Amino acid sequence: MRGVRRVALGMAFSFFILSLGLVYWQVIQADTLLKDKANRRLILMENRVTRGGIFDRNGEIIAQTQTTNGKKERVYPKGEMFEPLLGYSTVKLASSGLEGNLADWLVGVKKATPTQAVQQLFALPRQGNDVVLTLDSRLQSIAYNALKGKMGAVVALDPRTGEVLALVSQPSFNPNKLEANWADIISRETDRPLEHRYFSLFPPGSTMKVVTSAAILRSGINTTDLYDCKGSTVINGQVISEQNDKAHGWVNYNMALANSCNTYFATFGVQAGDKNFLTAAERFGFGQKIPFELNIPMSSISKGTDIPTKLTTNLLAASTFGQGEVLVSPFHMALITAGIANQGVIMTPHLVERVLDPTQNVIFQQKPEPWLTALSKEEALKITSGMVTAVIDGTAAPGAIPNVQVAAKTGSAEPGGNVPTHGWYIAFAPAEAPRIAIAVIVEHGGTGGGAAAPIARQILQAALSQKEGVK
Amino acid sequence: MIDRFTTRVIILGMMWLGLSLLKWESLSTQLLWQALIFTAIVLLGCLMEQILHYQGDPYILPVVQAIMALGLVFVVRINPNVALHQFWWANIGQVLFYAVLWVMQDYRKLGRFRYLWGLLAVVLLLVTLLFGSEEGGATSSFKFWGIGIQPEEFVKLALLLFMATYLEENEELLRVGTVQWGRFSLPDWRTLGPFMIMVAFVLGILAAQKSLGTALVFYMLFVLMLYVVTERVLYLGISVPIFLLTGSIAYMLFRHVRVRVEVWMNPWLDPTGGGYQIAQSLFAISGGNILGTGLGNGIGASTVPVAISDFVFSVIAEELGFAGAMAVLVLFLIVVMRAFAVSLKAKDRFGQILAAGIGILLGTETLIILAGVTKLLPLTGIPLPWVSYGGSSLIVHFILLGVLLNISNATAVGTHSIKNKGREYAT
Repeated sequence: MRGVRRVALGMAFSFFILSLGLVYWQVIQADTLLKDKANRRLILMENRVTRGGIFDRNGEIIAQTQTTNGKKERVYPKGEMFEPLLGYSTVKLASSGLEGNLADWLVGVKKATPTQAVQQLFALPRQGNDVVLTLDSRLQSIAYNALKGKMGAVVALDPRTGEVLALVSQPSFNPNKLEANWADIISRETDRPLEHRYFSLFPPGSTMKVVTSAAILRSGINTTDLYDCKGSTVINGQVISEQNDKAHGWVNYNMALANSCNTYFATFGVQAGDKNFLTAAERFGFGQKIPFELNIPMSSISKGTDIPTKLTTNLLAASTFGQGEVLVSPFHMALITAGIANQGVIMTPHLVERVLDPTQNVIFQQKPEPWLTALSKEEALKITSGMVTAVIDGTAAPGAIPNVQVAAKTGSAEPGGNVPTHGWYIAFAPAEAPRIAIAVIVEHGGTGGGAAAPIARQILQAALSQKEGVK
Repeated sequence: MIDRFTTRVIILGMMWLGLSLLKWESLSTQLLWQALIFTAIVLLGCLMEQILHYQGDPYILPVVQAIMALGLVFVVRINPNVALHQFWWANIGQVLFYAVLWVMQDYRKLGRFRYLWGLLAVVLLLVTLLFGSEEGGATSSFKFWGIGIQPEEFVKLALLLFMATYLEENEELLRVGTVQWGRFSLPDWRTLGPFMIMVAFVLGILAAQKSLGTALVFYMLFVLMLYVVTERVLYLGISVPIFLLTGSIAYMLFRHVRVRVEVWMNPWLDPTGGGYQIAQSLFAISGGNILGTGLGNGIGASTVPVAISDFVFSVIAEELGFAGAMAVLVLFLIVVMRAFAVSLKAKDRFGQILAAGIGILLGTETLIILAGVTKLLPLTGIPLPWVSYGGSSLIVHFILLGVLLNISNATAVGTHSIKNKGREYAT
């Protein structure tokens, strides 16, 4: 009877494996599958749920479900302004953006209150949770209007907390009456209104010099030493030239950053070496997953591997001023800026400030948490002083604001091919006690100072005119 | 007596609770009557066990009735319109079960018609192949007076009886072997021949019908029963390469096999096309989390294809959660393990082999469909015993259960009467 016992044992073991399969699907994979695009569960559940509202930090309504004659309709009073960030949620088109990613909060399945749990159990109609975002409609609207008609993105953060204050991508689309306009929206192939441009990867151009600065500072190179910029130089057989071949003459670190001197950064960047450069980039978050409510592609130094173990001298020289194979998202660039502003510490970015249950009790509150320490305090101060010089007497002058000291860096990134450069501008203000950090990109907009700086200036001005601590 | 009764009352209570949690309006009065008849049969059967001194395994029947009750609730949940049929079959099945349990005097008589059973199995399959209608990609059902019959379910019964008689008769020859082949001694062709022909015939016809799931169940049944009887690992060893060989040949020859395997490897590539079934099944299972959405609240019942038969477990896993799904697993495990226990206790070889065969059949059926819906194995649609909608499956499984408990009862009565001889007045 040994055979029977063995077969019985084998069966029992197979049942055990089966139960592990259940654990895998029902416990480990449950949340991932719930968010799968082909899974209509969350959307279908909403037939029984009144989806919660989405509000900005001042309580202004961004998205809301209105019930008229028993028919539910999702309305977006701000129109295009918050798209494509906000996304949409319809039965036909499934969901995307925040409407998709925050669905578990909005329909009240995540951290369900006891009442919600009971209602869920008996399939009673119920009310989802309200989500309050860190976004500021005022800044969002200024950024949206300033970018309108162009292609580009604006990212504004509070460097002290990581709160995202504005997140704009242009062109965008109107989320109201979406199903009717859907065919038209997806047919716009050149300006791609559904693309989240703040997460798209671009060459960073000269804004990369703030990262190179960290490598130069760490390698112990004396930044007060003067360097003679002749308009171009040759490193390892590769010609490095200035924009319009302009010779900056004798410059130290501050003046080199202020005038965006390519030869200075290429020369000293190569001198600092690929190890220092790659370490600096990694400490700023290159090749790392940015923890955020939405999925952000990783920024990379070279093709193939995001952070290689070594760089050839030629590629390193090009990378120091943001060309070569370097790719960064505007969102990451804003985080890098915020890191410099916050004395070297990059705070974990977030969009959800708090979540309120239907009776307006707070059931989730975001707390500021550091993500990376990119720089020491001294290094951060040195880079800040270079960025301040850039605004006082350098390429970033168009971004200056009366009575407030702005620290900034411009960039004009060559996307490759005979097309106008992408205009970049990163800034934070006030330089001595930063409250806002910003990154702006205007695709094919020309220079950073000309195309992007004026947009950033409007937003900084509006942000700084608000009283601190008032919501 | 009290135990026997209370378990049944609890099981029935759960069924009525389940039915009442579902909306009453959707339950027709006819359905209500059938549910009442079901209740009456369960209770009367219990009383009958008491009166007729049933001494067989005390766990198997209540556990199966619990599975049955759960199945009925879920069939009502998924499609109240066809649930009436399922109640009929459940009631007829139970009556048949008690008939087999009490009327059949000696299960050993089943062994008399060895080749008749084999012939019956082949004829049933052939008739289906020739005259059957196609459903869900497989030619496996058969219209008979307006009632759809799945002959392959009845083939299970015929084949099991054939196997048990054949194996009992040829046990020694299969175990020792008479032909030396290298280091191994194999049985001669006269012994192995009928068995091999049977295997080839049955599996060939099933493959032609595209009933891959049933073919797999039968293959496992053949191999494991052979192993149980002979206790020779050699047979298990041979079966693996044969399976791999036929599997890869089928993979290369038939498109539907390739599609199955590809969908299994990566259902997310095309969750709206080929991977739809399995993706929806996994969405439903994972939607259940730990405690489930609650009865009647799941979404899988309307989105998972053929939720009422092959994918009924996905719906259960969604609405009752991990806790409920595990409970179902454990119930099936108890039935299978107790079937093996019956086999170990049986006094004669035929009974041992038959009981073990029933255990193997139930176990492989359950494992193959549950592993299929949870993506542990490529999906091959077969019904989950006693739960999935389908009269043929229900009736056959109740008859199998009757045979199993008949063996168990006969064993216990045999031992008991010997043990108690001369002690009848002592108590």
